[in-house]
Amino acid sequence: MAMLISLAWLRDYVDAPEPAAVADRLTLAGLEVERIIPHAVAFERVVVAEVTELRPLPGSGKNQIARVRTGGDLSEVVTGAWNLRVGDRVPYALPGSRLGERVIEPKTFLGVTSQGMLCSPIELGLGEDAGGIMILDRGAQPGADLRQLYPPDTIFELDLKSNRPDLFCHLGVAREVGALFKLAVRPPEGSRRRLKSNPALVTIEAPEGCRRFAGRLITGVRVAPSPAWLQARLHAAGVRPINNVVDVTNYVMLELGQPMHAFDHARLQGGRLVIRRARPGETLLALDGKERPLSPEFMVVADATRAQALAGIIGGEESAVTEGTTAVLLEAATWEPRRIRMTARQVGLRTEASTRFEKGLSPALSLPAVDRAAQLIHELAGGEEKDAADVYLEPLVPAVIELSAGELERTLGLVIPSADAKDILVRLGFAVEGQQELLLVTPPAFRLDCHIPADLVEEVGRIYGYDRIPSTLPGARTAVRELYQQARSADLAKDVLVGCGYEEAVTNTLVGVASTLRVHMPDAPKALRIKNPLAETRDALRQSLLPGLLEALSLNARQDQPGAGLFEIGAAFWSAGKGSDFPHEPRLLATVAHVAASSAGAAAVELRRVQAALRLLAERVGKAPIEFQPAQPVDGFHPGRTATLIQDGEPVGVVGELHPRVLAGFDLPGRVIAAEVVFDRFAQPDPPVPQARPLPRFPGVRRDLTVVVSGRILGNELMQVIRQRGGYTLREISMQSEYEGPQLGAGRRSLSFGLHYQADDRTLTSEEVSASYERIVEGLKERFQAEVRS
Amino acid sequence: MQGGQASGTADLDQLVRSAREQIAAAPDEATLEQLRIDLLGKKGVMTATLRGLGSLPADQRAARGARANDVKNEIESMLTARTGALADARLETIGEREWMDVTFVPALARRGHLHPLSLILRDVKAIFSRIGYEVALGPEVEDDFHNFEALNIPAEHPARDTMDSFYLEGSPLLLRTHTSPVQIRYMQAHQPPIRIIAPGAVYRRDATDPYHGSQFHQVEGLCIDEDIRFSDLKGTIEYFCRSLFGADRRIRITGDHFPFTEPSAGAAVSCGICGGAGCRSCKGGWLEILGSGMVHPQVLRNGGIDPARFSGFAFGAGLERLAMLKYKIADLRAFLDDDVRFLRQF
Ligand SMILES: [Zn+2]
Repeated sequence: MAMLISLAWLRDYVDAPEPAAVADRLTLAGLEVERIIPHAVAFERVVVAEVTELRPLPGSGKNQIARVRTGGDLSEVVTGAWNLRVGDRVPYALPGSRLGERVIEPKTFLGVTSQGMLCSPIELGLGEDAGGIMILDRGAQPGADLRQLYPPDTIFELDLKSNRPDLFCHLGVAREVGALFKLAVRPPEGSRRRLKSNPALVTIEAPEGCRRFAGRLITGVRVAPSPAWLQARLHAAGVRPINNVVDVTNYVMLELGQPMHAFDHARLQGGRLVIRRARPGETLLALDGKERPLSPEFMVVADATRAQALAGIIGGEESAVTEGTTAVLLEAATWEPRRIRMTARQVGLRTEASTRFEKGLSPALSLPAVDRAAQLIHELAGGEEKDAADVYLEPLVPAVIELSAGELERTLGLVIPSADAKDILVRLGFAVEGQQELLLVTPPAFRLDCHIPADLVEEVGRIYGYDRIPSTLPGARTAVRELYQQARSADLAKDVLVGCGYEEAVTNTLVGVASTLRVHMPDAPKALRIKNPLAETRDALRQSLLPGLLEALSLNARQDQPGAGLFEIGAAFWSAGKGSDFPHEPRLLATVAHVAASSAGAAAVELRRVQAALRLLAERVGKAPIEFQPAQPVDGFHPGRTATLIQDGEPVGVVGELHPRVLAGFDLPGRVIAAEVVFDRFAQPDPPVPQARPLPRFPGVRRDLTVVVSGRILGNELMQVIRQRGGYTLREISMQSEYEGPQLGAGRRSLSFGLHYQADDRTLTSEEVSASYERIVEGLKERFQAEVRS
Repeated sequence: MQGGQASGTADLDQLVRSAREQIAAAPDEATLEQLRIDLLGKKGVMTATLRGLGSLPADQRAARGARANDVKNEIESMLTARTGALADARLETIGEREWMDVTFVPALARRGHLHPLSLILRDVKAIFSRIGYEVALGPEVEDDFHNFEALNIPAEHPARDTMDSFYLEGSPLLLRTHTSPVQIRYMQAHQPPIRIIAPGAVYRRDATDPYHGSQFHQVEGLCIDEDIRFSDLKGTIEYFCRSLFGADRRIRITGDHFPFTEPSAGAAVSCGICGGAGCRSCKGGWLEILGSGMVHPQVLRNGGIDPARFSGFAFGAGLERLAMLKYKIADLRAFLDDDVRFLRQF
């Protein structure tokens, strides 16, 4: 959460150095300064004016004429705003003045000349409020240059960490600056008046939601606009001024970090507050003008009859402090953070207050805050403290943490003298006792994040400066285990497929359950669904990589990139049965290749290419060579063009053309060849180390064999006969080419094989080879009525 | 050719003359080869002539034999010379006859490309393998204990707000929101010394924009041993960042907060575009790239490791972030789109 810190305000408490130095050190210490914003007003020749007379602009229902006094001069201005009253001090842009880029000139409305312009906060760049003229406090001197009320400043935009709610205020940041630069810190003064806690004023009925509630009743207040300095500070911190009482509560929050609320005491039934859960059916009209139903899980601050505020989040309209208010009941409470988080989430409202409470504020903050607010209200709005309450059911017990010099050195890797460590902790508000070697440290009451020595090591380390810690590498003792045992084969497989011309893809793990049903591996179980998906198209865990890859192919086809070939290696999720069991996460390898042409022949060529790539893959990383067998029907695949990958007699994957109906579902034209392999079943975790064999001492003999067959006789079957008949000197048989065509006649194919003969102990004679060849030819004729072309 | 009875030297002279004419007239190498067979082959004229020598009287046999051998040699050399000449003539014109347009090169072979996440991960793995780290992997579907509880993030902890999770239907399991659960799993299975990196996909229930996605990748590091110090973390981060981005980069270590480390620190490298002066791509000259810290004693205990004896550090970085910085990729969404126009740039 971003927090705006004004340098001028900060300097109330600590003599902070130049902005750049402050920003640097704060960032290193973990208070990241996201931006340094030079803050100067963007207007010229705008002065304070007093409204002396108001009258309607004749002939206009919308505008009125204001007569204003600036020092001795009187001017007339036409304004469309209706929030003015005689006696108000307002910003007046003189003729020829500048508001940013805009130059103000006299202007005539319905025959009346308006000299200059009365300004709203947004026109001056002093706030977001465009609803009416900005009302200054009555103490502002007519004729005074408005810029004197808004001196230049520097704003730090801080990105703070959630464990340090104590930093979400100027005093908190001042303490850090004090520790970082070794400067004294001057905390602000609060009221010293000590009234006895009156149990009748505040009752906690639901202690599970409220750890402490400090209240203070102040009577005889005069509600009015805040003085310019206060408005300027709120403005600098990004908070809209309302009136002096409300502004004080916001000011104290920005100063001390404790969110507060002010109730109009006269509007509270029974004149007291009850802290309880909301009642069934209860509603609250909140300060943002919205009426909200309240759940009994929510904490409310109620009067005797009904909810007056949604605890820790937003106040109610009914008891809001307005100009007519004379008695104010202040609240500085400590709300249970989890319930605040839950409530804020349920009502969909995050406020300055709720974001602070959510992080877990210390109950120690509430009483000083109420004292400080009472003091400021007394100064700005008059009034007397009349009654008080402080309900604090389970006070914090401060813990002592032991910090040894050895621990500091062992954790950080450098020696920080005990005295320095002690100084840092004390400046941060810790109480430190003890000797050189062992410090006994009590965290300040406003910090709830320190429990163990490591927490103190962090405090000392980050203030001392991480930049001053040396850079070392751990000692030489290293566990020698197998490096990358799982990852190697995947890297090698990727290299093979990249070499074959395919692009590596990484697709979404979350897919639409509809698309995952359309195509998947034969043995994938039912899809695992996501309970809370962001979109219907991402409501299941993938069982197959193919749907994601097909989405990518479809995207590429639409981007005028048809014919893409992609592959991915990644986890799929296969249900292990019961919902609470961890699913299997097999690593799959999948490829898809788009054939833009719709001809069966083009797809056949691509299918062969993919199959050949898979065979290369098996050679490189496979546990054993693979062969292809015609597959039983597989969901999503072409019934006549799909093969199962068999390795050591076991199926490890599928390859084939996809069914045209699947492509229609992915809006893909043309044809697609796809393959998917259970990678961990298929590949060796680590490919074997090559083992060299001696080269043959005698020359081998190569022969080509071309066979013409009719009908659906498989290459595998021919290979089997060739191998059986070839004899032991036939070392290698390779499939070489396939031909179908009019010369052969319908239904006939010719298949060419390469035969390689080799003997270890002699040069083969052509007679031996020919004898083997003839046996093969005989066998093929007998088994398949094959014709052999020579 | 004639195969009949050979007798006088006149026949041999005739034979030489006839051979010379035929050889000179042969238009190509194939014709010459046929002539060689006819004249000198097993069934050729010369063989017959030499065979005929046996029927001659002994006194003539030697002279005729010598003469026949000369003739054979002469024909052989004529054939060789003519073959050479014909080959020369043929090679003379090979450029004309077999001309190709060598500038027209269709893309018959193409190479594919590794995904940028694979590329960056290979770099990261290589960098850490040089200092003795191995790769550890864990499941992407996790339970609450490993993903949150064991990392000091109990239910309702504010850190869970930034790690909104996807849950499985009908199950308490979720998709891991970070790779940190691998730390816990690895510690439960191994005692120190431990040096691992754990890369992998993580999931957060965030809307997608140029810098955020509901699925991205992290790489986690964990080093535990006796006497591991913050200075070791700093040195390791510097070594890693400079190895990945260049030795000239500066490294900034700042305070930070994570529930599972104490002290915690963030690391940034100086911007490679502006050199640290500040520009649109960086924050005041710095690029934040990882979160880190000394492993919280309770997290060590949760992993079954005694914090009184061992200490360690952990760090985590977004792989997409590293790749975006290294390869100047502007939009996170490109990583999962798999547009080949993008993939082919790597
Ligand atoms: Zn830059």
